[in-house]
Amino acid sequence: MSETNLYPGLNLGSGHGEAHDQAETTVFGFWVFVMSDLFIFGILFASYASYLDPIGMAGGPGPQTLFDIKSVAIQTAFLLVGGVAYGGVSIGTKYEHGRTVVIASLLLCAALGAGFLFFEVKDFITQAGKGGVPQASGWLSAYWALVGLHGVHVFSGILWISAMIAQIAVRGLDDVVKVRLSMLGVFWHFLDLIWVGIFSFVFLVPLA
Amino acid sequence: MTRPNTGEVDPQDGMAAEIKSYAIGFAVSLLLTLGAFTAAMSDISATMKVLLICIAALLQIVTHLRNFLHLSFSGEQSREDLLLVLFSVTLLAIMAGGTWYIMSDLSDRMHTSHEGTTHSFKSN
Amino acid sequence: MNEATSPIFGNLNWQVTPYTDLLRDVNSSTIVGAGAASVLVLGTIAGVALLTYMRWWGPLYRNWLTSPDAKKIGIMYIALALIMLARGIIEGFVMRTHQATALGTLAQQESGLVAPDHFAQLFSTHGTIMIFFVAMPLLIGLINFVLPQQLGARDMAFPVVNQVSLGLTTVGAALVMISLLIGKFGTGGWTMYPPYTGIEYSPGEGVDYWLWAILISGIGSTLTGMNFAVTIFKERAPGMHFMRMPLFCWTSLCVAIMMIYAMPALTVSSAMLALDRYAGFHFFTNEAGGNMMNYANIFWMFGHPEVYILILPAFGVFSEISSTYSGKRLYGYTSLVIASMSIAVISFTVWLHHFFTMGQSAGVNIAFGIATMIIGIPTGVKIYDWMATMWRGRVRITAPIVYLTGFFLLFVIGGLSGIILANPSIDYQVHNSTFLVAHFHNVIIPGVLYGMLAGIHYWFPKAFGFRLDEAWGRRTAFLFVGGFVFTFLPLYVLGLMGMPRRSPTFQNPDFMPWMYIAGFGAVLMLCALTSLFWTFWTSYRNRLALAVPGGDPWNGSTLEWSTPAPAPEWTFPRIPHVQARHDWGETKRSNDPWRAPKQYCDIEMPSNTPHGLLIAGASFCFAFAMVWHIWWLAILSFLAVPGLIALRGMMIIEPKIIKAAEVEEADCRFRQQVANLSAVTRADEETSRNRGVPDVSEFAG
Repeated sequence: MSETNLYPGLNLGSGHGEAHDQAETTVFGFWVFVMSDLFIFGILFASYASYLDPIGMAGGPGPQTLFDIKSVAIQTAFLLVGGVAYGGVSIGTKYEHGRTVVIASLLLCAALGAGFLFFEVKDFITQAGKGGVPQASGWLSAYWALVGLHGVHVFSGILWISAMIAQIAVRGLDDVVKVRLSMLGVFWHFLDLIWVGIFSFVFLVPLA
Repeated sequence: MTRPNTGEVDPQDGMAAEIKSYAIGFAVSLLLTLGAFTAAMSDISATMKVLLICIAALLQIVTHLRNFLHLSFSGEQSREDLLLVLFSVTLLAIMAGGTWYIMSDLSDRMHTSHEGTTHSFKSN
Repeated sequence: MNEATSPIFGNLNWQVTPYTDLLRDVNSSTIVGAGAASVLVLGTIAGVALLTYMRWWGPLYRNWLTSPDAKKIGIMYIALALIMLARGIIEGFVMRTHQATALGTLAQQESGLVAPDHFAQLFSTHGTIMIFFVAMPLLIGLINFVLPQQLGARDMAFPVVNQVSLGLTTVGAALVMISLLIGKFGTGGWTMYPPYTGIEYSPGEGVDYWLWAILISGIGSTLTGMNFAVTIFKERAPGMHFMRMPLFCWTSLCVAIMMIYAMPALTVSSAMLALDRYAGFHFFTNEAGGNMMNYANIFWMFGHPEVYILILPAFGVFSEISSTYSGKRLYGYTSLVIASMSIAVISFTVWLHHFFTMGQSAGVNIAFGIATMIIGIPTGVKIYDWMATMWRGRVRITAPIVYLTGFFLLFVIGGLSGIILANPSIDYQVHNSTFLVAHFHNVIIPGVLYGMLAGIHYWFPKAFGFRLDEAWGRRTAFLFVGGFVFTFLPLYVLGLMGMPRRSPTFQNPDFMPWMYIAGFGAVLMLCALTSLFWTFWTSYRNRLALAVPGGDPWNGSTLEWSTPAPAPEWTFPRIPHVQARHDWGETKRSNDPWRAPKQYCDIEMPSNTPHGLLIAGASFCFAFAMVWHIWWLAILSFLAVPGLIALRGMMIIEPKIIKAAEVEEADCRFRQQVANLSAVTRADEETSRNRGVPDVSEFAG
């Protein structure tokens, strides 16, 4: 069962024994769950595309009025750096750099995620001020649902990070915690992936 | 990462390689993101813009899967995960593509006259 | 709602029960409504009283509700499904009775047992219950019980998640049940198409009951799918390669795949409808750029794979029983595997055939029509494989074989009417008529219901240690077959005569003979239901005569028959090393199959936890509060869920260790018992000589 090179990097090397074997089942299960989540996003993307026309916008404000490309760029930067910062957690856990390194990396991820959320919420407020509320049109409903759902995911990610910090502080880096950090890693990077889709297809394509 | 013949991982060697992998992933993602934003704000035709944005997004997703999520065809587990992702993406493509196919066809039939010109939209 | 929302009780007040309706106006419709609510109330009181009188609360909590054991979770799923099945069949009976009395005249158009609005609630709850809270729990329960045992695993990959899934499914069922007493259920059918179910045309709690029942149980089903898939991928016994898995495991894998990828679509369409209703979004409204056709699109992206989620486990069961009761090896194993996987994948490409008439162009309809016809091919392959399995076998006409035969005869008719409907031009003529109602009952009842009941009959001894009474089992099976024929075949005719589905009334007297035949069928279905429960009861009373401690009453060939009946908590004393496809059968050929393992070791099992129960409790409060707009309770119970998860995350949970000595003692006792029991031949299988030890020399599978 335990081949070398299971989850290189993201997960634990074979030196971690039982945690490594357990990770194989648990993290695979989490991957499956994430794929299910991907479908929720995928269907929302498809719906967004189907409402992206003058009929779906129903005379309400459109992308040109509402989207602030500079703010989207800032949010992208926050999430990208936040994703790379999780590398610190993975490597710190795998090569046993101790709790401090892992907790510091987790805090950095959470801070960058919070920065992303700050700009996203600011955008939402500005857009609502311009009449771009989800009740204004089918297209705006789809926009708020899709981008909002991603934001809720990032927020849950931050909550999860806080829970993991608490667990590391109380339990230490035991096997169970290591496996959970691997799952959190999959989740956190997955949010990055979804954001690539969002900034490309939700923001940039309608502006093109 | 794995020493030939022994199958043992040299910790320092492995870590350097992994940091390098993250760094490459970061650099490539950054470039692709910049490319997409630049394309969107440039003066080229809309079709070209959409094309460039799509290509950049696709490449960036592959980069993330490879460098951050460490999926590859080598290594039993990461191959299993990659196959899972590819299978999921195939089904998702059927669903999302089907949605686009159905909804755009409906939209054409409801809002377009036979000559192909769009009626002005009337809100009911 | 007519009054303002109270900050404490939301929209709840004393006007919402069916008793208020009864007091306001006494007629057959309100009497039926109040009667149903009374059955619910009295049933609950009786249940609580029984548990208290027998002092079963403690054992119930310790041995069942907090157990992460997949076998027990499976049994609880099936118990839930049978309770809901009773309600579903009774509702079907009321609907048939109503339509048999619903002939109106031009002067007085409305007629019949219940009011039109009440009738609409009946078909909406009937559909919702039968799909989500009968068929789904039946198949999930059966897979939970059987899958780990067939794979040679001790439990699911994620036992606690499994518990949570059961909890969430039960919450959904409880919401539908409580809508009998508090408020009303939606009237939009089991699919709840907007804009009719939007807030403008359906204000009030009805659609919200459906939405939250579906959203919450849908999350449970997604987690279940994940659990099944990971169990199959990671928990197989050593040597159990994919191509050595019993067919039931293969169909479980297909079900898992479809649940993982199809349930999200249902979650999305329901969540969008909820946003429309609660927050004024415009996904599916008539105005402001909403597009109600997108609902049908997304819903059926789930809905079609769901059909195969329902049917494939039954195909797995039929593969097992056709081989076991014919004393022959399953014919065409590989072709059955390929057919199952093809069905799983193709089922994602056909969803548009549920709305051929929505207005898309012919090209789109043709594409999906062709895909629909293609999916008939692997299904046909399977039917031939089972028939070939039974061909020249020494078939014992047990209750499962009666179900299988009924399935052969009726499912083929249902499948053929499906192929007819797959042709868009014919679909245009008969869609939304009772022809369609006849068609889908014709595939779902012989497919799902017969399959699951056959499976329950087949594996019952493994769960409880005694067989079900064969005579009553066969009577039940015949009643279900006859009930189906009389109830639903007339609906084909009525559909072709132009009777729309879901009509509370009609004015054509020519319909009446067919209505009476269908009504008679509904009586038979009610008898079948009674007979089913009687089978359980009478078998329980004769449990000593029917006991099969040897654990292999049908001379089976798969791993689960190698253990005692009922199977112990740890299932296998040692994880088996699988050598062949029909491992237990091969062991039988090589003499002395009940050889004890050389040594025993400590077994780690997940420890009991109330986690699933607590999450289910919080989810129920959340859903109920959302339905009735009790915002404070909704917020509190919503926060409770991540709180509970985080709390559990902080705890270090030790597994339960079962000592090697204890396992050894139990296992030796079992093997001693097997050695003392006399083997039973096939001819005596139904008699009390069957103690679960078959004559190994007769094994031919």
